[in-house]
Amino acid sequence: MPGPKSKLPAVLALIAALLGLLFASNSTLDYAKHLDRRLHDVHCSFIPGAPATSEAEACRVAMYSPYSALLKEQYWGGIPISLFALGAFAFFSAFAVYLLVYGARAPRRALLFFGAASLVPLVVSLIMFTISVTKLGTVCKTCAGIYISSTLLAVAGVLGILASSREAPAEPRATVSPLLPVIWLISLGAISLVPALVYAASAPDERPYITKCGDLKQPKMKNDEFVKIATTHPIQPTLLFEDPLCPTCKAFHERLVGENIIEKLDVSLVLFPLDSDCNWMLDTALHPGACIVSKAVLCGGDNARAVLEWAFEEQEYLTRAGKNGPDVLRAAIKQKWGDAMLKCVDDRKTDVRLNNHLHFASDNNIPVSTPQMYLGSRRVCDEDTDLGLRFTLGQLAPEVLK
Amino acid sequence: MKAAGLAGLGSGALFVFGTALAVRLWVSGAAERLTTPEAEKPKVAVADQSEVAYCTPQFKQVLERVLHSCGLAEGDSSRRGCQPADVKTFASISDADFNALFTPLKDRGAVVLFDEGEDKLDDKAKKLLEDKWFARKGARYFFVVARASKTGNQAKNRALSHRRANSVMYHLNEVANDPDIEQKVGLLWLGNEFAQLSSDYCSWPSSRPEEKCEDETINRSAFVSWVDCRL
Repeated sequence: MPGPKSKLPAVLALIAALLGLLFASNSTLDYAKHLDRRLHDVHCSFIPGAPATSEAEACRVAMYSPYSALLKEQYWGGIPISLFALGAFAFFSAFAVYLLVYGARAPRRALLFFGAASLVPLVVSLIMFTISVTKLGTVCKTCAGIYISSTLLAVAGVLGILASSREAPAEPRATVSPLLPVIWLISLGAISLVPALVYAASAPDERPYITKCGDLKQPKMKNDEFVKIATTHPIQPTLLFEDPLCPTCKAFHERLVGENIIEKLDVSLVLFPLDSDCNWMLDTALHPGACIVSKAVLCGGDNARAVLEWAFEEQEYLTRAGKNGPDVLRAAIKQKWGDAMLKCVDDRKTDVRLNNHLHFASDNNIPVSTPQMYLGSRRVCDEDTDLGLRFTLGQLAPEVLK
Repeated sequence: MKAAGLAGLGSGALFVFGTALAVRLWVSGAAERLTTPEAEKPKVAVADQSEVAYCTPQFKQVLERVLHSCGLAEGDSSRRGCQPADVKTFASISDADFNALFTPLKDRGAVVLFDEGEDKLDDKAKKLLEDKWFARKGARYFFVVARASKTGNQAKNRALSHRRANSVMYHLNEVANDPDIEQKVGLLWLGNEFAQLSSDYCSWPSSRPEEKCEDETINRSAFVSWVDCRL
C-alpha cells in the first residue's frame, strides 16, 4: 500500500494513460487510413510504437467487426470506438499530471474521483474483451494494449483511493469544492467525445464511390444454375462469388450472419475456387482442395448453405487436408456428408457444373479474387464489403437493414 | 494549489488539442487520397478464358477465320461448319503450315479413328471424344477437323469427311446437354485436296492406339480438341 507521500498512483496513472493514448491512436489511425478505400497494413502489436504490418489478421477481424464502431449506417465505416478511448485517455493523462504536480497534498476528493473514474475504462475494456473472445474468437493485440492500459489505470486509481485515506502530518491534503468532481466528470465525458466529433465532421463523403465498381455483363448463367443459399426473408437479389477455403470469404460470411444481413439477401452463389486444379486463371493453387470442396457445395442442393457453412467452420482442417491431397479431403467429405455426396463430388457432371461457374466468372471478366458481392447486377466494391458494409447496404439496399 | 490546477488544465488542453488535431490530420489525409487517383494502381487479374503459349498470332488468325467462316461467330447460327473449299481459301496457308498449327494441341486433343469408308463412331471413339469434351477447363472453342482418305475420288472423300464431322457433332450433342453447343464447336471437313496427315501423326493420342497406323489410316479420322486461345 502506498504511503501518503507516494507518487506511485499518479506516476502509474500517467504511464497507463499515455500507453492507452498510444494504443488508441494506433487503432484510430488504422481506421482513419482506410477511409481512402485502399488496403493498408494495420498496427497489431503489444509493443508500443511497433510499425503496421500486413500480418495482422486478428486486428483486421476486430476492425471489420460490427463492434468496432458506432453509427455504421450513417458514416462509412462508422465512428470507431477507439476515438472515445483516445479522448478518455487524454483526460486521464491530464488528470495524472494534475495529481503528480499536487504530490502528497493531492486532494482527497481528486483521488476518490480518479479512483472511481478509472474503473470506467476497465469496465468498457472487460466488455470489449468478452465480445472479442465470445463473438470474434480472437483478441487483437492493439485492443489488448488498450485493455492492459485500462487495467493499469484502474490499479493506479485503486492505489489512489487507498492513499487518499492517509496524509503526511507535515503536508495536509488540499481541499477542493465538492462541485469539482462533477465538473471533472462532465469534462471526462466532453473530452471523450471531442475526437469522435472531429472525426465525424471531417470524414469524407464516400457515396459517389460506392457505385463505381462495375456491373455484371451477363447476369444470367448459361447452361447452368447458381447455387441458392437458403435464407429466411430473401428480399434483395444478391450474387456472391465465393471460395469455401478462402479465409476472407469465411470472415465476410460471418459478418453477414453476425450483422443479421444474410437472412434478408436472396443469395445466388457462384463457386469460384482459387485452386489451379480446376481454375485455369491461376498458375498455382492459392487454396489447394478448394475445387473439391466447391463441388461438395454444388452437390449440397437444398443444403448448400449447410455445406458452405461447414466448409467455413472446418476451414483450417480442410485447408490442411487439401494440402495433403484429394483423398484426405474426400474422406472428410464422406465422413460428414456420406457416400452419396462423395459420389456426386466425383461425378463428371459436377465437374462440368463447376466449370460452368468458372466460365460465368470469365464471361463477366470479374476480378480474380474472392469474395465478391453483387447487389442485383451491381458490384459492391471490396472495401464496401468490409468496413463500409452497413453504410453501403444502407445506401444501395436499405430494406436489408430494416 | 494553483500550480497543479494549471498543470492539469494546461496538459488537458494540450492533450485534447493534440488528439483532435491528429484525428483531423489522419481523416483529412485519407480524404485527400480518396480524391487523388493512385499513381500506380495495383493491377488486378481479371477472369477470362484460358490463353496458352501456342496461341500465336498466326494460329489465332486461322482460328478467327474459322470462327467467322464456319458460323461460330456470335449471333450467326444459320451456318454450320466449313466446306473443304472454304478451309483452303480462308486459311490462306499451305497444307503443312495448316497442320503445323495444330501440333501444339497434341496433348490437349486426340484423333478419333473410323473404319474404312465408315462414319460411325465405335465405343472407344465415343469414350475418347467424351473425355476430351468434358476436359474443357478454360477453353471456349472445340475444334473438329474431319478427314476421309488421301486417295480416291475427291467428291466422295468430301462427303465422307462431312459425315464423319457430323457423327462427332451428333455424339457431342447427345452427351453434352448444352444448348449453346453450336457456338462452341467448329466443324471442318477436308477432302483429300488439303492438309492430309502424314504417318507422323500416328504418335498422337487416338481411339485405336493398339492398331497399326499408317498414312491411310490416320486420315480416316476426326481430330478433336479444345483450343485454349482468347479471340
